[in-house]
Amino acid sequence: MTTRVKHNGLIDCDVHPVLSDFNELVPYLDESIQQYMNIGKFAKGALAKQNSGSFKFPSSAYANPLPVPLRADAFPPNGDIPGSDPAFLASDLLDRCQTDFAILNIGHGTMSAFHNVEVAAKYTSAANDWLYGKWVKSDPRYRMTMEITPLDPAQAVQEIERIGKRPEIVGINMHCVNIPLGKRHYWPIYEIAEAYDLPIVLHPDTEGTGEYAASFGVGPASTYMEWHTSLGLIGQRNVISLVCEGVFERFPNLKVNFIEYGFSWIAPTMWRMDKNWKALRHEVPWVKMLPSEYIRRNIRFGTQPIEEPARPKDLVELIQMIGAEHMLLFCSDYPHWDGDELERAFLHFPGELRHKVFYENPLASFRIQP
Amino acid sequence: MSAQEKHRLVVCSAEELREGDRRLIELDGVEIGLLRAEGTCYAFRNSCPHQGVPMLYGSVVGTMLPSQPQEYVYGLHNEIIRCPLHGWEFSLKTGKAMFSPAVSIKMYEVKEEGDEVVLYLDRQPQSITRKQFACVL
Repeated sequence: MTTRVKHNGLIDCDVHPVLSDFNELVPYLDESIQQYMNIGKFAKGALAKQNSGSFKFPSSAYANPLPVPLRADAFPPNGDIPGSDPAFLASDLLDRCQTDFAILNIGHGTMSAFHNVEVAAKYTSAANDWLYGKWVKSDPRYRMTMEITPLDPAQAVQEIERIGKRPEIVGINMHCVNIPLGKRHYWPIYEIAEAYDLPIVLHPDTEGTGEYAASFGVGPASTYMEWHTSLGLIGQRNVISLVCEGVFERFPNLKVNFIEYGFSWIAPTMWRMDKNWKALRHEVPWVKMLPSEYIRRNIRFGTQPIEEPARPKDLVELIQMIGAEHMLLFCSDYPHWDGDELERAFLHFPGELRHKVFYENPLASFRIQP
Repeated sequence: MSAQEKHRLVVCSAEELREGDRRLIELDGVEIGLLRAEGTCYAFRNSCPHQGVPMLYGSVVGTMLPSQPQEYVYGLHNEIIRCPLHGWEFSLKTGKAMFSPAVSIKMYEVKEEGDEVVLYLDRQPQSITRKQFACVL
């Protein structure tokens, strides 16, 4: 398959490399955690039996029911999992789409909502080093977001201090837990993120995957369909929290990029927040502008999975209606099943808007040095 | 136009507008609410610019001043009237909404002169109706 869309620059803000096997982490991971996870020299034999397989990676309760839950056209030639081969991904996606930069967000799962924060923190550091060593160094077009442990801001700050100045790291992939994003709990992370000029990236993963997972507003979803469609609610709740708690007054230059939560819901969210603020300003007196002004200034949204109204132009009109032309970031979500193809997903976007979404907005929203 | 050039209209006696009292008057079809808070008399158009409900039912309150995140600073004690429907806050001193100086209720010049509460109007009204008004606030 070839892509024929002509563009003047493309930054793909959501590409997912995955571990083919947890043992890939062994060179980067402290022995104590290898033992905890039953990998490396602890993978076989007595120890695994002795601890009864006590470690289980936090996987989502909502499994994609499709026969192949990833792009079935993206298996590398060696038959491994899609997203596991840096060279194949570079040719299959970047060469085909003439991508200038691909921002790698770890796709094999996170431990952000895991109950043992120390294990989660060491795993996260190892995963960052694996992504940097195996992937980012393999192709000059690769950039990455670094993961942190949102349950432990002090540790997260240490991790950002450890690697956050590397030029290949363009954002902080925080993941959400059951603490709303605006709470002071996170402010040490926001402080260093702003100082390092790194955006906070929020990407679904923890939802439903651990003891500290965010809830879905009402209660558990019954199906993957419910789960996937409800992700936008979590995005919405966190946007509301960030604005109302005064994060963007305290950190005016902080960017928060919501990737894969959708974006059409931001219109009614802005309208509702502006209306409520006029009545309830005294409750959040530190919010000094219309909530929608903070949202337009500090928050960005990934395009994928793009909304598909029956009349495609409605989406463009909605973007124009809410003044979101500068807020959208192109994401392919390769190699996930619900990714967007460059050629078709933006067919109805005017050329100028497309260029903003494909290149200008990502360039302004991540710490990318071309 | 100075106060001297304006039309002088006695609304009521000072005794009829004591601390916390409210009065309603209609001039040429436009309702004007009057109240006294912290000793000062205020007069304003009796209609919220948002959805038009009568402002005279609004609570007179102080409010939280613009502040640093996660900090509450109380001020403007009894200088704010809050719309009885959605709670929009307007300064009784200026008429401006707390959330934006571009939104306001019209304030009228009102003075306490001896035993009289006096409105100063841009022109002489053709019809004047003093209306009954009562609210629990």
